[in-house]
Amino acid sequence: MNTDFADSGINLFILMAGLLPLAAGLLFLFIPDRFRLFKGIFSLLIATISLCGAGLLFRNTNLPLNSNLLDCLGQDHPETGNMPGNAKSFFSLYIDNLAVLVMLFISIFTFLILIYTLAYAHKRKRLPQFFSLVLLTSGSSMLAVLSDNMILFIAFWGFLGLTLYKIISPDDEASSAAAKKTLILIGASDGIMIMGMAIIWHISGRIDMSLMELPTDSTLSITAFVCLAIGAFTKAGAFPFHSWIPDYTEAAPAPASAYLPASLDKLLGIYFLARICNEIFVLNDWLRLIILILGVTTIIIAVMMALIQHNYKKLLGYHAVSQVGYMVTGIGLGSVLGIAGGLFHMVNHALYKSGLFLVAGSIKTQTDQDKLEKLGGLSRQMPLTFFAALVFALSISGVPPLNGFASKWMIYQGIVDFGHGESLASQLWIVWLALAVIGSALTLASFIKFISGVFLGRQKQELKKAREVSWLMWMPQIILAIICIGFGVFASGWVIPKLFSPVVGEVKFIGFWNSSLISLLILISLILGILTYLIFSVSRFRADDIFLGGETGKEEAGFSSTEFYETIRNFELLKPVYRAAEKKWFDIYDLSKGFVLKISHLFSAAHNGILSNLAFWVLAGLIFMFIFLLL
Amino acid sequence: MDKFIPLFVILPLIAAFLIPVFGRFLKAFNKTITLLVFLTLLILSLFYLFAGSQASFVYHIGGWKPVNGVPIAICFLLDPFSGFMLIIINMMAFLSTLYSVSYMTRYTGENYYYTLFAIMVAGLNGVVITGDLFNLYVFLEVTVIASYALVAFGTEKEELEASFKYQVLGGMATALILFSIGMIYWYTKTLNIFDISAILKDSSDYKLIEFTQLMLIAGFGLKAAIMPFHGWLPDAHSSAPSPISAMLSGVVIKAAGLYVIFRLFFNMFEISYVIGIIITVIGTLSMVVGVFLAIGQWDLKRLLAYHSISQMGYVILGVGMGMLILSRNGSEALAALAITGGLFHLINHAVFKGLLFLNAGSIEYRLNTRDLKHMGGLSASMPLTYSTSLGASMAISGIPPFNGFFSKLIIIVAAIQARYYVLALLAVVVSIITLASFLKFQRYAFYNTKVEHEKKKYRDVPFVMILSMVIMALLCLGLSLLIIPDVRDNVLQPAVDVLMRKNDYFINILNM
Repeated sequence: MNTDFADSGINLFILMAGLLPLAAGLLFLFIPDRFRLFKGIFSLLIATISLCGAGLLFRNTNLPLNSNLLDCLGQDHPETGNMPGNAKSFFSLYIDNLAVLVMLFISIFTFLILIYTLAYAHKRKRLPQFFSLVLLTSGSSMLAVLSDNMILFIAFWGFLGLTLYKIISPDDEASSAAAKKTLILIGASDGIMIMGMAIIWHISGRIDMSLMELPTDSTLSITAFVCLAIGAFTKAGAFPFHSWIPDYTEAAPAPASAYLPASLDKLLGIYFLARICNEIFVLNDWLRLIILILGVTTIIIAVMMALIQHNYKKLLGYHAVSQVGYMVTGIGLGSVLGIAGGLFHMVNHALYKSGLFLVAGSIKTQTDQDKLEKLGGLSRQMPLTFFAALVFALSISGVPPLNGFASKWMIYQGIVDFGHGESLASQLWIVWLALAVIGSALTLASFIKFISGVFLGRQKQELKKAREVSWLMWMPQIILAIICIGFGVFASGWVIPKLFSPVVGEVKFIGFWNSSLISLLILISLILGILTYLIFSVSRFRADDIFLGGETGKEEAGFSSTEFYETIRNFELLKPVYRAAEKKWFDIYDLSKGFVLKISHLFSAAHNGILSNLAFWVLAGLIFMFIFLLL
Repeated sequence: MDKFIPLFVILPLIAAFLIPVFGRFLKAFNKTITLLVFLTLLILSLFYLFAGSQASFVYHIGGWKPVNGVPIAICFLLDPFSGFMLIIINMMAFLSTLYSVSYMTRYTGENYYYTLFAIMVAGLNGVVITGDLFNLYVFLEVTVIASYALVAFGTEKEELEASFKYQVLGGMATALILFSIGMIYWYTKTLNIFDISAILKDSSDYKLIEFTQLMLIAGFGLKAAIMPFHGWLPDAHSSAPSPISAMLSGVVIKAAGLYVIFRLFFNMFEISYVIGIIITVIGTLSMVVGVFLAIGQWDLKRLLAYHSISQMGYVILGVGMGMLILSRNGSEALAALAITGGLFHLINHAVFKGLLFLNAGSIEYRLNTRDLKHMGGLSASMPLTYSTSLGASMAISGIPPFNGFFSKLIIIVAAIQARYYVLALLAVVVSIITLASFLKFQRYAFYNTKVEHEKKKYRDVPFVMILSMVIMALLCLGLSLLIIPDVRDNVLQPAVDVLMRKNDYFINILNM
């Protein structure tokens, strides 16, 4: 493997892609929000430069490379150039194909979200320091991805928790609570990761992560793996550390949800999961089994919760959790096909889910409604948004020929392939496959609810004034939709070989699959279908108001797609489970919060502030120490 | 440099004397002279740090040099460890005084306030630089008596009660400390710390020494508010005026409590495994129980006060682990790492806890409440208080890139390297609960829906208060640089060396 040190060209690209947004973000923090337009345009400029940097880095062919953050700042600097080796080793970077792939997508999302926010920020409530926070997030995610030194990595990684917390810009009870919960869960996972890294450092004596390949055969190394996996799971939002995502997406402004939990946190979490599963550790069979169990549990639990949601942002939030299950499953398989599928799904998910959140943001700005029941019939007023939403919804549900299908298909193939193995996890391949497919079906079911609830059905009286959003807002949506279609249609021909094969190696499909050919067939059948429709039934089609026994129906008589799904909640077997879930009995955050507060009250009860008690403790402490000494 | 050493005690004492005399006639005299004195001392201590020599200087009071290696006079010692503490003390004193300039206009009797403040700082500086055990006790009493008065400065029911508790428990501490000093004097026939150290090295009466050590742990534990001895702290630290709370939490418990424990147990006594265990255990106990107590609080300053107990636990954990490793003849580099973590956390805690108390003071200054339930939505109306407090909260919770993250990181790494896995896990768990309780502070004070008492619009606090808070917030970020090996080698490492290498080091001092 080629691990030469990078030349100055690479360092320049890293400077453009990572350090520049970080520096600009810091600088913009000190510019008041009055100059929002100025900040927005300059942020966009910087995001463009960063995109170019990431793109140029991606085109570089002789990866992996080692580099150093200090070198990127300038080699001829006397201060950095003369720093002794041990200080410099804290800033070591490792650039490989996975890192540059993730970086490329980080910069694409930053760019698109900034365009969207230019228009969004003007209309809605103010998002304080949004542009600087986006730039800071983008810069530090890229540097986290590039970091080789564990301390450098955890510093950037942990800082992302803070930007995630700040970007929600809380101003009422719900959003404040969500922000608090988010940072507590993320911060907790970061703390646990520190422990994992310290253990790695202890066992291997190394502080840089690349080419580690620790065997997971001792309790210590398994603990280290679990600690780091908790970090990755929490960031990506996999069960059981997912519970911040639905709350966050419900309360946060849509561009923030689209940027962080939907795209960047997935990219980072799954990136890190891939790192630890394939590079830092060599997994044993039991760990694989546990990862697969967590993966499919995430898929099913989250999608079941998504089915019963009324708030469309929260619904999307639960899907942001559910889809992580596929990625975790793919990565957990450990085969080339599985990892490629997992990473492909990570990228795809980021594409359509951030698209969906942008759609949600557009709906919110135009209608100011949060509940699905209050919406309906927007397809006529917002055709472009509708088209984008439809593409995203079909894509997330895994309908061919879109990208969601392609990556899920690869994961399914990976599972089947995995079934040839000997271990218990392999023996159970049919379970993983079945649950993954069921999850996909349920996703489709809940997205029918979303699409029909928002865009189809009868037009509500109070929504008559809704209009299509401005071009700055629909353009990112359409771009994402086109990428979704493109990635689906050219999956096997271009996307997999060009983007993912450099990362995981040559991907060999089981059986014959050519996505472009399939897309062509589907296109032909669609055209045939439309022709049939036009020829035979268009003249007999009639639209009318709802009527009931001859009377014109009232508003309540109308068909509401959300009520349709109430039957699931009322299904006897699931009813108690849903009720418990809504009381947060399964939420790791609320569980531990209750536990901590109980202990806290216990201790507080002892602290009644009576002076003689305090004096007694002093003596008791002294006596205990004496006893200890005598023993 | 040795000529300047006594200035650390003399200058604040002079200020304390002059303020009641001239303060009556000259209006801003009290503030100006206190600020000037602290600034001078801060520059002096920074000069010592950056002069680069990092040598030790001894000042013999009265100019009586030791005769045949037997010290006669009381001596002051400026070595990297005390220099490190002097920076913390004088920096925090300067910034708290700066903050007081506007804040103390709420109170009457400003002359007394600045007088007491200067006396307290004189005592703290004295504790840190003295090389004589009884002299240390005297300076300790100077410090705490001034702080009793300062805690009671509001003279309301609550303040007086807090001060009374503080005095009673402080009195117990005094008794324990004085008794132990008597024991040591009886046993060694000398009071000079380095002389004692030389004698104790060859002694054989372990039981007697260990008994004295426990008395000292309890006595200085009371000053440092370690867990079973912490009863006075939440009342006293929350009742005092906020700049004083910042001093008490940020400096006094460290300089008068932890510093002395570290100095005596590393440099005077031989390091023993049993004492190492006791110190580590009470440190861990403070760390864990303190944070559980803190998270349930709704009184902002009381929440911060309990966190001081918990954070002191981290410092003791770091240094205590170093002690354990040394006493088991473990790797010196590892012990140095653990102690570095402890001392790093000590300076970090001084800065961010000081800042948090000043933030609490600013909120109290505008809203007249310390109850979190009566705050809300202040992020818009008090933006700078908000941003500085966010920085400090993230620092204490260990979120990068703030300083607390790096010191906790070192402590956790050291714990794992030394195979104290349970301690590492506890440190992580406590850090998480700390984060939770500071997010509670952020949420209830600065987020949530706005409270507008009587339709009043809140503004941010006056300029000097802001200035002092902003400087501290920048320090919260800037101190992160201490993680970089080269910087650490120049600032923290010499202090750690003083603690680790006593034998080849103090013999020289005796003869200086």
